[in-house]
Amino acid sequence: MTMARNCIVVNLDRCTGCFGCEVACKMENDVALGQRWSKVFTVGPVGEYPDMTRYALPTMCQQCEDAPCVSVCPTGASYRDKDNVVLVNKEQCIGCKYCMMACPYGVRSWNADEGCVEKCTLCGQLTSQGKQPACVKSCAAGARFYGDLDDPESAVSKELAKYDEKDIHVLRDAGNKPATRYIMTDMIGTWYDRVEPRGGHQTAAYPVED
Amino acid sequence: MSHSSMTRRGFLKSTAAMGAVAALGISAAGSLVEADPAHAATAGEEKVYKTSCRACIANCAVLAHVRDGRVIKIEGNPESPMSQGGVCAKGLAGIQALYHPNRNKYPMRRVGERGGNQWERISWEDAITEVATKINEMSDKYGSESISVSTGGGGNPHFSNIKRFGEAINTPNVWEPGCAQCYLPRMGAALLAYGRGKPNNLSFSDSNGWDYYYTDSPVTSLVLWGTDPSNSSVATGGRALAELRARPQGLKTVVIDPRYTLDAAKADVWLPIRPGTDVALLLTWTKWILDNEKYDEEFCRSWTNMPYLINPETRLTLKATEAGLEGTDADYVIWDPAANAPVVVQYPMNEGVAAPLFGTYEVNGMQCPTGGELLKQSVEEWTLEKGAEVCWLDADQIERALEIYTDPEGQSGIMQGVAIDQYAQSQQSALGALNLEFLMGNVEKPGTMLQSFAPAPCKDQLGNTPRLLSKDKVMKRAGYLEHKGLICWDMAFIPGIFDMMRDGDPYQIHMWIERSGNKHVVLGNSSCLDEITPNVDYIVHAFMYPTAFSVLCADLILPTTEWLETNLPIPQLNTIVMRQAVTHLFETVEEGIIWTNIVQKCAELGNEHAAKAFDADACMTTPFYKNEYEKQLQHLNKLDMTWEEACEQGVIKWAEEDEYRTYGVYLKPDPATGLPKGFGTPSKKLEVYCESNIILGRTGAPWAQCAEEKPLVLPPASEDYEPLAYYMEPAESPLTDTEYPLVLTEGRLPMYHHGTLRNIPYLREIYPVPEMWIHPEDAEKYGITDGEWVNIESRRGKTHGKARVTTGIAKGVVYQERFWAPELLDSDDPAQAYKVMNVNVLTKNDAPYNPEYGTYTLRGFQVKVSPSDDEILKSVWIEPEQFNAWMPAPSDPTEDVYDYGA
Repeated sequence: MTMARNCIVVNLDRCTGCFGCEVACKMENDVALGQRWSKVFTVGPVGEYPDMTRYALPTMCQQCEDAPCVSVCPTGASYRDKDNVVLVNKEQCIGCKYCMMACPYGVRSWNADEGCVEKCTLCGQLTSQGKQPACVKSCAAGARFYGDLDDPESAVSKELAKYDEKDIHVLRDAGNKPATRYIMTDMIGTWYDRVEPRGGHQTAAYPVED
Repeated sequence: MSHSSMTRRGFLKSTAAMGAVAALGISAAGSLVEADPAHAATAGEEKVYKTSCRACIANCAVLAHVRDGRVIKIEGNPESPMSQGGVCAKGLAGIQALYHPNRNKYPMRRVGERGGNQWERISWEDAITEVATKINEMSDKYGSESISVSTGGGGNPHFSNIKRFGEAINTPNVWEPGCAQCYLPRMGAALLAYGRGKPNNLSFSDSNGWDYYYTDSPVTSLVLWGTDPSNSSVATGGRALAELRARPQGLKTVVIDPRYTLDAAKADVWLPIRPGTDVALLLTWTKWILDNEKYDEEFCRSWTNMPYLINPETRLTLKATEAGLEGTDADYVIWDPAANAPVVVQYPMNEGVAAPLFGTYEVNGMQCPTGGELLKQSVEEWTLEKGAEVCWLDADQIERALEIYTDPEGQSGIMQGVAIDQYAQSQQSALGALNLEFLMGNVEKPGTMLQSFAPAPCKDQLGNTPRLLSKDKVMKRAGYLEHKGLICWDMAFIPGIFDMMRDGDPYQIHMWIERSGNKHVVLGNSSCLDEITPNVDYIVHAFMYPTAFSVLCADLILPTTEWLETNLPIPQLNTIVMRQAVTHLFETVEEGIIWTNIVQKCAELGNEHAAKAFDADACMTTPFYKNEYEKQLQHLNKLDMTWEEACEQGVIKWAEEDEYRTYGVYLKPDPATGLPKGFGTPSKKLEVYCESNIILGRTGAPWAQCAEEKPLVLPPASEDYEPLAYYMEPAESPLTDTEYPLVLTEGRLPMYHHGTLRNIPYLREIYPVPEMWIHPEDAEKYGITDGEWVNIESRRGKTHGKARVTTGIAKGVVYQERFWAPELLDSDDPAQAYKVMNVNVLTKNDAPYNPEYGTYTLRGFQVKVSPSDDEILKSVWIEPEQFNAWMPAPSDPTEDVYDYGA
């Protein structure tokens, strides 16, 4: 049986950078202040006028095929469930934070109250009832899609099918094979695959340096 | 907030006792409410209500999930044709606003000195009686004009209510900081030059541009002039643009904004204009369109007043009687080149007469230019090069933008944002942009911005009652004769109000009733309040939370409702989106119900004028409602269903799409004459030469009225209002200012609206303090490092921001949005709550003002910057955990304070 590749796809041509996905996620999942399972970075501005690039880059668990967070976990708390979704079993998490260091995208969160690591669950509590993840359901720009990349009838596949290969991107891949796809055409400019924000929690409001 | 977390944190019930004295601010929660640990977790049935957000003016349709009387989840309602299921961060955080521990929960009366921040709870009966008694006493002693009433755009307001309230208590001195500085200039200019009775103008973020919510609109390009829908109308306008851009044919855009916004980043051309020079660029565009003959000549001849001859003596259109022709003084005159003679216009246009748009002709001994000729002369000097020089732009990029806008194969439109409303050239910017659209024939065609689509059967705004005020009373309104554009909204001139409050000039204002988020954050040069409010005897503040204004100025605080506690129908395209109260907390009251109860109490205590507010004959329009039931009936208007039926449907489709999208309404026959209806101007033509602006200044037409007279003909303003846009260099200019070298502009953020929401934990952690954008070259020049605090100073004051060194801002310009720090309200120096990082202590509320509206200067003035290590900055909350004090304290619903009424 082929495993599903469920993930979020974000169309950056549509994204207005409103931070609604961050707040939708936090409201739905009761994420503590200072922690974000879904974060909106800003890339740019880079380039010289008039050829400049700036875009909002919503970032969450990329559902990597070879997820380093899973392989480094000493207890098996970081795991893939039966639907292939990368998750954390809080009962088994000993709080060593190896996975947080291993994640190339900085999208794992520390739950200080419970002493364990947390992350985007693709809103399993909703998708198991046939609903959309909170960030997808309420996306103000209709820029977020959820589904199985391998199912041509899924919302993600249908959205991706509208675009050329050159307009479909992944975050920098160090062999971990992120599943999440970003759509961005030359209407916006040049795609930068780096996500190395600076300045801790306020990075959302600050640019990623070229 | 999930249900589980709600039970984990427990919920709070109100236990504040009458008479207990408390401070308002970060510690308010503990002193006013306490948790009830005995309350067990319950899991009742979850009900989903269809309602409408009011975290900003976009009114997006949302679904509110309610369990056991508590709102537990907000998500988008896909039935709205505008927001289509989207909600932005502001709306999603609505639960944190609703259950904010610092809600104003009960009427509170000040104890001790003003500014001492000590308050005691009083009953609504006592509060209303106190306000009504003061109103009646002040009216008897000083005249009712000595009471000033104000509102503002942030925080679930209702504009027409406050106007009705002012008129009901017989004061002409009602005002708000938007108005002349936000939306009125764009609306007023369109009413004068285009004349559609239903508000229709170039402001996309005020829910115009209806054709652009349909992806089959033939629009091919848009000019976003000083507007950023991604920030200012996220899930409606921002969404619409995202949908248009995502079409296979896409959407070309030109963005004119000093900031490289995310809309600018998607644009084909970004023009990082110098703030305050929009009119220079408009004149440059106009000249290029005329010189390159890009305008729609036939449309201009038939449907604008460009061919109409102008009388050089009156500056108005030449009339038949003045030309020595057969006809009346209502007949317009054009030049007939074949006959080489003037002829009277036969509406809509004389057959076979190719009336020239340009040129000057001798009529009856006078040299009479056409309206078009005067337009041409007004832009004569504005070459691309001159425009580029004045606006700090690249001439080639201006021309690229013009080629997109005027592409003969495409259909374009201009969206004009609040930026142009915020300095002395507000009316000129609005008229100049309308003229571009008129020249291009971008009017009521598929794909144009200006439309006259079918009106909804319900009303979100009820309209004012200006005929409640006598001539004597209305003539006492601040700025009434000089800034007659304000009469469009029946509002007063703010600097004039402040002169009265501070100096008693020309008479003293003794009482101020205010409803809004924080006047100290949104008023120009807001620290002037420090010397004004001590001279006002009695001040009432109605809002959802304590603000700097409450703590520093108020004597009485009235708690108002959040949008989740409020009812209102909202027209959205061919639907009505219902806002319905899904809960009610503490003793909060919707502002309209507060106002009507005050008026009723005034009447009960013997105020004869107040009684008239409920009399349709005295109002000469719909009178003030007395309760929620009557209010709902007035808003439902012609919608033939009960409030409950309407709420049950939630989103009501009242017309099919094609019935709603009515194009070319001006061409439809007028049943009375059989001729085309034309536009709503006196000439039924688009006034490129806006003589209605001159007439407004001279007489107050078409807006002045009073109890005795309609129209009320007023004496003229000190100078004529100009019929055509003209450029005026900002009073503080980087071209001459050596002490304050940088130009400041403001601009919207997606997670805040006006002065509101700085107390919402999930929003504040995203953007805890305002960024000050500065170009790398300027940063180097002034020693500014990215991410560090800076001092920003103007001739009026000093504040702070956090530097963001970026090429996303024009050189020589800095950008920062309004901000305040609610965490400093109960500090030793509560004024710092508004001073520490608020650009409005820098802005300018002195002359020069816009002649028409009295607009003062919020953008396009001069500042200087330097690195800062001011001690006060350590008190500003930046770390996310600090906002824990403001996390929601869910509370059980309470009964409404006032009877429903039916």
